[in-house]
Amino acid sequence: MAAKKDSSLNESAGREIVITRVFDAPRELVWKAWTEPGHLMRWWGPKEFTSPACKVDLRVGGKYVFCMRSPEGQDYWSTGVYREIVEPERIVCTDSFADENGNPVPASHYGMPGEWPEEMLITVTFEEYDGKTRMTLRQTGIPSGVMSEMTAAGWNGSFDKLAESLEKEKSI
Amino acid sequence: MALDQLSVTLAAIADPTRRAILERLAEGEATVGELAEPFEMSLPAISKHLKVLEQAGLIERGRDAQWRPCRIAAGPLKQVADWVGRYRRHWEESFDRLDEYLRELQKRESQNRQSKTKEKKHGRKKR
Repeated sequence: MAAKKDSSLNESAGREIVITRVFDAPRELVWKAWTEPGHLMRWWGPKEFTSPACKVDLRVGGKYVFCMRSPEGQDYWSTGVYREIVEPERIVCTDSFADENGNPVPASHYGMPGEWPEEMLITVTFEEYDGKTRMTLRQTGIPSGVMSEMTAAGWNGSFDKLAESLEKEKSI
Repeated sequence: MALDQLSVTLAAIADPTRRAILERLAEGEATVGELAEPFEMSLPAISKHLKVLEQAGLIERGRDAQWRPCRIAAGPLKQVADWVGRYRRHWEESFDRLDEYLRELQKRESQNRQSKTKEKKHGRKKR
């Protein structure tokens, strides 16, 4: 409960994206799904994406390289370094876009508009919760200007709706 | 979108009155008078807000000097939404897949366990 309150507070301060999910699975299994390439490749990436490559050097200072492939066949590589590993509770790692050799590149490499931070920090925690696993992901380093202005303005839900209606209007 | 343009867009939507105006315009075009109605604001005050929105490229206005209906312009706002929403969407959809995958894994595990127990029982009977 306290954790939840805390996360929404941070989110409204606009410095990070916070997502909490409860998985109906033991914590050890969720941990494996996050740390073993064979598992990661089965779920990494949005709907309809596949993951053709994944390397994990699971130790502090070790590097990961993930690749996800869009339905159109475009590959998106990302990489980062593990900063903290507390099995099965917590992973902290950096995150940035990468080229196919796993070298960090700016977001513009993939044609992302606007200015992105070159590196972000991801913290994932796993808590046992009523026989299930509560996972919380925090991503910081998102351009603070955008997030804080939008969330401080209480934009959230209404903004989604607005974007949706704009999408509709555009397609007419 | 250049960062300067982004700042202008963000500054424009940081104001609650201007957000309300945009939300109203998302439903369809309207005149200054129509937009002023729910706000208890003078027409000049509303016009000022509209000017900010127009400069940010968030709305467009008709040419007719007397009857200048306002329309929402999809460009900049959509780009801001894309930009911020991309990561969230990435995670939410990935976690949907993770959720499904974890179910699948556990189902397989319990099936394996069941068939092993059956084998054991079967073995005992033989003996």
